[in-house]
Amino acid sequence: MESLLQTLLNGVASGGVYALVALGYTLVFSVLGVINFAQGALFSLGGYATYLLMGGRIGVNGAWPGLGLPVALPFGLALLLAALLTALASLLVERVAFAPLRRRGAEPLQSLITSLGAGVVLVNLLQILMGAEGYAFPDGAGALAGLPDMVVLGGARIRTIQLLLLAICAGAVLLLSLWLERSRGGKALRAVAEDFTTARLLGIDSDAMVRLAFALSGVLAGLGGGLVGLSVSLTGPYFGISYGLKGLAVLVLGGLGSVPGAIAGGLLMGLAEALVPADASGWRDALAFAILFGVLLLRPGGLLGRVQVDKV
Amino acid sequence: MPSDATPLDRRQRGALRLAALLAAAVGGIALLGRRADPAAQPLPPPAAEGGALTLGAVIALTGNANLYGQDQRLGIGLAERWAADRARRDPAAFPRPVLLSLEDGASDEQSAIAAFNLMLRRGVVALIGPTLSQQAFAADPIAQRRGVPVVAPSNTAKGIPQIGHFISRVSAQSSVIAPLSIEEALQRDPGLSRVAVFYAQDDAYSTAEVAIFQKALTAKGLRPVSVQRTQLGQNDFQSAITAVLPLRPQLVVISAQAVDGGNLIRQLRELGYRGQIVVGNGLNTPNIYPICQRWCDGILIAQAYSPDLDTPINRAFLALHRRSKGEAPPSQLTAQAWTAYQVLFEAIQRLQRGGGLQGVSLAEARRRLMTELLSGRYDTPLGPIRFSPEGEVIQGRFFVAEVRMGPGGRDGKFTLVRERSLEEGGG
Repeated sequence: MESLLQTLLNGVASGGVYALVALGYTLVFSVLGVINFAQGALFSLGGYATYLLMGGRIGVNGAWPGLGLPVALPFGLALLLAALLTALASLLVERVAFAPLRRRGAEPLQSLITSLGAGVVLVNLLQILMGAEGYAFPDGAGALAGLPDMVVLGGARIRTIQLLLLAICAGAVLLLSLWLERSRGGKALRAVAEDFTTARLLGIDSDAMVRLAFALSGVLAGLGGGLVGLSVSLTGPYFGISYGLKGLAVLVLGGLGSVPGAIAGGLLMGLAEALVPADASGWRDALAFAILFGVLLLRPGGLLGRVQVDKV
Repeated sequence: MPSDATPLDRRQRGALRLAALLAAAVGGIALLGRRADPAAQPLPPPAAEGGALTLGAVIALTGNANLYGQDQRLGIGLAERWAADRARRDPAAFPRPVLLSLEDGASDEQSAIAAFNLMLRRGVVALIGPTLSQQAFAADPIAQRRGVPVVAPSNTAKGIPQIGHFISRVSAQSSVIAPLSIEEALQRDPGLSRVAVFYAQDDAYSTAEVAIFQKALTAKGLRPVSVQRTQLGQNDFQSAITAVLPLRPQLVVISAQAVDGGNLIRQLRELGYRGQIVVGNGLNTPNIYPICQRWCDGILIAQAYSPDLDTPINRAFLALHRRSKGEAPPSQLTAQAWTAYQVLFEAIQRLQRGGGLQGVSLAEARRRLMTELLSGRYDTPLGPIRFSPEGEVIQGRFFVAEVRMGPGGRDGKFTLVRERSLEEGGG
């Protein structure tokens, strides 16, 4: 019983982050029908921005050791500002990599390539500015000062940082779901996701909604990057890419463009990884992708997605 | 006049002409290539233009091994300054100028191969690097084929000098060093019986090192209660750790690279593990301090270098290091990188003084340098060292250190807890 609870906790803790990343993809995919491959790079940016805003120092590849911002904000504030900064970067990606092609009515595949390019440029910029070395947030990072390193729940152990990460992920997902469901803006976004042209005919500023989707996905990437950075340190500019790839798998697993699907897919992926026997923990990724393969064989549209039917 | 030749004859003659043309072209290109090949050119005298010999260094300045590369860049740079200062003070003893050419070998095999090829095109007399054993297995054969001496500053996996005659190392093999830290852990707690092992299964070095750790554990009558396989770049170890902790290990042995291993140590401690931790050479760098912070405190590591070694050369090394990095003690990687430069520099000077570099081509100079390198004895920051005929370092002194973190958990020190003298030839 204790070990089952431990497995559940382990799965939910990592699944929460996967869901957050997948939601970022989902928002963009639902309105444009394309995957924003720069999402992983934005995740990295969120981590570095949080670190810098908290007073962290960088090396600029050894050219300028000890460089940093003249501020040292508490973790919560730094995370929020970093999320906003990442939202701006996401809007820039939209402006550079998506908008010009959309105006010309280009194939979605082309946007996929330009977003991949934008992501590569962003990660390389990070590497030039920050260097390739790893950085760790200050111990406790102000967010956990005075709290124990670990919490025991029914005999199962979880690091306090991961519990915080899980709580913020859950809060962000809940807020986003409520906003999409209940608010006027959320309904407008869903209308654009349903049919871009019809929504425009109904008086919805579809282009503004696209920008909103990018900004929100940037916020989610920024939050995810900052939280994971706090939990396991920034292991280099490419650290967001692995989360981006996992988020992509979750997006497909849950069903392309489905918000509940992204959440369910993230949790399922996390639980699947946690269920891998401890002695074979090195094969977690292989098992996760095997599950993805299996689900897609049974449900080609993903867990909660709909299979698109081409009408003649 | 009509020709008697049949169409077949004409075709044969045409083919022969074409073959002759091609052969001439290939021969011409080969001749031009030979002329352009810097290895075929005779070495200018030391005082002439271009008389300096260039040492190439290929180290990881980017990628997940960049933490090691930063330490190594520092070590090579300090050794270069030290050598230049000696040459300035006594030009007769150090007659051949030596230059350094540094290239990023990143942290993967392809980048190391590309950097080695670049260095060979630049006409270096010898190479230092690459940073990782996994890279060495890919890139060293290139230098071996071209007859360029390589001194590895940090490759400790089994089989590196066996790549070929031109490959040597100043980094003692893991099988010599790694068991010392297990011995130390057992001395501290003779009753310990439950050991958990973590290693990066997709890293050649870690998989080789963990086999050595396991052999050392078996030799002491210990069987691991759990062996956890991790991956390079993995940063969340919650599942692996929570699977191990119910088995109540008294000792955890980790063989991984710095960032992954640092994260693993932090998460082990955060999740309540309070027993001893022994780590492998991948975590043998002060760059782990910012990763595992206050949780680094108390980890045990066997080392090939100690800042506490009281010899003139180590004091010179420490003084230069202090001038560059303040009071932070140098890492083993920095000392080994210094040593790699030092042994090559001294071998070049001995060769020059003995007339071995006069009038010879670069290719011949490389061959002679390798012979000279292997026959010399060197007083280095690591202590006195020499090489086996195969290129393996023979080092007599090793150390076991414990990490002690300062207040605030941002900075720490590898504190010497035991010095071991091993029989020569053990390397």
